[in-house]
Amino acid sequence: MLKRRRSVQFMAVSGLVLGTFAVGPVGEALAQQRPAVVVTPGRARTYRAAVQIFADRSEIPEPNRAPLFHANLQSALEFSGVFALVSHKAFLGPVTSASLDHGPPIVCSDWSQIGADAFVEGELIIGRELSIEFRVWDTARCVRLARKRYKQPLTADKGFLARRVADDIVASFIGMRGVASTEISYVSTRDGNTEIYVMAADGSRQRRATNNGSINNFPDWAPNGEGILYTSYRQQNRPFLFLSSRGRNRPGRLLKRLGGKRAEYRGVFSPSGNRIALVMSELGQGPEIYTVRPDGRSLKRLTRSRAIEIAPAWSPDEKRIAFVSDRSGSPQVYVMDVDGSNQKRLTFQGSYNTHPAWSPDGHWIAYESRIGGQFDIWLIDPESGVSFPLITHRRSDESPAWSPDGQVNFPLIDHPRSDESPTWAPNSRKLAFSSGRRGRADIYVVDVNGENVRRLTRGSGENTSPSWGPFPR
Amino acid sequence: MERTLGMHWGGANRQDLRRFLKISAAFHALGLLLLIFMPTLPKLAPPGVIMVDLVASSSLVAVRPGPSAPKPKPPKQAPKILPAEPSTPEPSAQPKPTPPEEEEPADYSDILAELRSELGEPDVVPENEPVQTASLGAGFGPGRPVSPVVAAWMKAARIHIRRFWVVPPGFRNQSLETVIEVELDSGGDVRGEPEIVRRSGNPWYDDGVVRSIRKASPLPAPPEAGRWTFVLISDEI
Repeated sequence: MLKRRRSVQFMAVSGLVLGTFAVGPVGEALAQQRPAVVVTPGRARTYRAAVQIFADRSEIPEPNRAPLFHANLQSALEFSGVFALVSHKAFLGPVTSASLDHGPPIVCSDWSQIGADAFVEGELIIGRELSIEFRVWDTARCVRLARKRYKQPLTADKGFLARRVADDIVASFIGMRGVASTEISYVSTRDGNTEIYVMAADGSRQRRATNNGSINNFPDWAPNGEGILYTSYRQQNRPFLFLSSRGRNRPGRLLKRLGGKRAEYRGVFSPSGNRIALVMSELGQGPEIYTVRPDGRSLKRLTRSRAIEIAPAWSPDEKRIAFVSDRSGSPQVYVMDVDGSNQKRLTFQGSYNTHPAWSPDGHWIAYESRIGGQFDIWLIDPESGVSFPLITHRRSDESPAWSPDGQVNFPLIDHPRSDESPTWAPNSRKLAFSSGRRGRADIYVVDVNGENVRRLTRGSGENTSPSWGPFPR
Repeated sequence: MERTLGMHWGGANRQDLRRFLKISAAFHALGLLLLIFMPTLPKLAPPGVIMVDLVASSSLVAVRPGPSAPKPKPPKQAPKILPAEPSTPEPSAQPKPTPPEEEEPADYSDILAELRSELGEPDVVPENEPVQTASLGAGFGPGRPVSPVVAAWMKAARIHIRRFWVVPPGFRNQSLETVIEVELDSGGDVRGEPEIVRRSGNPWYDDGVVRSIRKASPLPAPPEAGRWTFVLISDEI
């Protein structure tokens, strides 16, 4: 009994003591449920990758083979804008990969300590074909994110495999494939004629796709990557659509069925490749927009005004088409349903807006807008009243403009020379465009946030009208 | 028990009661004296809420679904036209609640300056930025007081994680939000595996969140070892 009394006394007294001294702010907060720490992004935007030189496990190794592949891989990774590379001088671990199957296990801390988020090891074997195998590690979590093997004929472009590997490394970190292994077609006058050219998306492997001495323009990739649709004046000195093919489809003039008494100014494949949006005029009339099957059947006229209507661009779901009309007195971007109904004006700011390009994810329409005598590329949200946040790092203090229906649009990048003809990378993270900022037109690429501008074409001639191709299969 | 006690106190041993009352009175007097003669004491316990960010808190509360409710698709937001420097938020651009009482907000400049010098780098966060709080538990809504010590640590932890958290442009401003619980020891070391308690819907973003916590270990030493919750939001507020 006495024991219990004492313990009761002790409890009461200690309660008082605690009540007087201990219930300070710390005690109170900790006694409650702990608050959560809210963190928002800082400045870091690029992961750091430590990439080993792949082991050359060919029967007859060649000293330059692996370093050359490595240089291509590094360049393609940097092109992604997702990775910066850790210098080999900083490596704590080996610079060259060991055998993937029989080598020692990787030590994650060796790589996380030097600030690498990603560690890439691999091997290449040249036998009857070129075989590449690689692994991507997340060093902080010490988890293998990817392991893949590619093979290709010895005669094929070896840089392509390096770009393909780089795109996979990007995908393993952000879930969205890189586009270094895609291709861009464009128009160049570098050899004196206006011909269609093709290059890798990082600017490598530039080569001519047409060679007919006539005027060739407006290339557009077939969605399966097996051909390029373009406009050529090579027959009757009048514009018709042609196909340049490296697949099963026969190259040559495409819509012969429509006859020769028309002018086909421009064709754009729908995302499925089943239809072509066509700018065409009957003789003596202004250009209108049609859709037609690639074999020339099922022609449908979509626009019926006296105005000039050009530059169709498919929405990714193929249900709508953006186009340009001057029916209001100045060229503006409009959107209509794929049957031509429901035509609605989209751009209101600026007296000259043209060349819409719908992003493959559907969020944006890029277009060129003339303000003060020069064209800039702008992005606009095609959905009424809803906008997707996008950061621009613009050098000027120009503020974004609000159109009367509440949509916001703002220039992608600013510079003293015109940027024209935007085209989207298949992952919607980059755009290519032509720009005269160097004094003559060149093809450039830029990240969708306006950063990471990079010129792809060099040398003489005008390089214009880029079209970004699909992912390789 | 109560009845037993009552019988006991009212029973034989009244001396015990008296003795207890004396001790109690002495302690009360001591407490009073301390309150009166220690002018620094009130400063240790600043009243009420320190800082509240209604935007952050309410959005956290709003998007928190019930256990069975599916995660609502993050709504497309009106574009935020950010100042030239994305990592310097502008609190005045956000609606802020008027404080319920006219109170002098506590001054943490000393603590923060100390922390900043400890971190060895200039603070990228403006001084008047509100301390963002959120809690997963019921009853800890917006406006709940956070002690200066906890608030200062929260801010230090936030700055620290930011330095290690890589957010590629494609993830920014996509309204992604991952809630992660981390076991911290008293020195700030991350113990065991951080546990994602709510996913953002984008597994690569979630991976990046875990990666950032791993890279950030050791965090600044927390006020108390144990499980702490972090909410990593992709939007550059």
